[in-house]
Amino acid sequence: MQSKQHFHLRDIILLALIGIIFAVIYFGADFIYNALTVALSPIGYGPAANDITMGIWCMAGTLSGFLLRKPGAGFLGEFLAAAIETFMNGQWGAANFISGFVQGVATELGFTVTGYKIYNWLTVVTTSLFAAVITFGWDWFKNGYSHFAPAMQISLFIIRFISIFIFSGVLVKIIANLLERAHVVRKGY
Amino acid sequence: MNPSIKLLLIIIISLEISFTNHLTANAFIILISVIFLFVHHISKQSFFKLMLVPLIPALALAITIRWFSPSHSWWFATILVSRLYAYCFLGALITVSTTPLELARSLEQNAHLPSQYVYGTLAAVNMVPRTIQEVKIIRVAGQMRGVQLSFWSPRLYFKAVLAAISWSDHLAQAMESQGFVEGQARTYAHPIKVSFRDWGLFFAWIILLQLCLTFFP
Repeated sequence: MQSKQHFHLRDIILLALIGIIFAVIYFGADFIYNALTVALSPIGYGPAANDITMGIWCMAGTLSGFLLRKPGAGFLGEFLAAAIETFMNGQWGAANFISGFVQGVATELGFTVTGYKIYNWLTVVTTSLFAAVITFGWDWFKNGYSHFAPAMQISLFIIRFISIFIFSGVLVKIIANLLERAHVVRKGY
Repeated sequence: MNPSIKLLLIIIISLEISFTNHLTANAFIILISVIFLFVHHISKQSFFKLMLVPLIPALALAITIRWFSPSHSWWFATILVSRLYAYCFLGALITVSTTPLELARSLEQNAHLPSQYVYGTLAAVNMVPRTIQEVKIIRVAGQMRGVQLSFWSPRLYFKAVLAAISWSDHLAQAMESQGFVEGQARTYAHPIKVSFRDWGLFFAWIILLQLCLTFFP
């Protein structure tokens, strides 16, 4: 790797390519999202589809953070993924830019609190926690979560945390471990 | 309108309608966006798709707010539906009227984004078809060995990221061997200017939105 702090041309291309890979795979997730929404709406839990799939949307940022290990990588990876997805005709339009921004900041903070030095399971927990809390705060306003019953708000938050922990936590860590074993990333300690 | 200013305007509008609950403003934004979309000759097919895509999540939110939330408010349900449509139409305004290349050039020249961000992202965007192809190949290769790779399979991402790492190396080397230097002053083959008209329009729309948010429900 080149100098620690700055993003070089190669890093930017890599981050954008990761964004594209995830955007390509996200297309599948859009269908899952819609199917879940239709299935859950009659029992009043339609918005839960958003929380169940939230972990999938946040994967690009966490993986970028684990891969490049530089301040800003988590944010850039997630934001570029969202921006590219907008141009690839994603479902969400302009909201993509802002969601990407929010999710990017959220993932980035998870790496910031570890001082960009620790990249192990503790980081998985911190990134998941920050991502869950901050994206939930955003949906509180944007998707009207503030109007739901308290019991529903709590269960939506728990669902969201589990989704983020499984997909952008555990799954991303497994991918990062595979990349470590292939000697394309440094060890986590 | 200048692409960077348009992007900024759309982000500001989207942020503002996220934190305010005004039906008239949302409806106004949708109406204006639809007019602009037709001015830019959006195809009937794309327009139809644009109408259809947010329908399911919008209805789900409306149903939840109307029948399963403590307030049972139709009013708030309509606001959420119109807000989702406003986001989608605003997003479409950018993708219909601006190509990624124009936006990248404008962000470099007008917003002074460092050149490696601009050209790095552009280089990657040109790889979109190859990336789609690569993900397909990885999946088919897996199937040939009797392994089904889905969006939860770490191996699918692992292999795709390995490909991305080698592509980014090659692309960066290719660009640098052609004389691309990070942070060096560049000349522009296609200069993009920001005119007074751009800023005038920007502030006019912002003010119009504030009036709409202040005086209408």
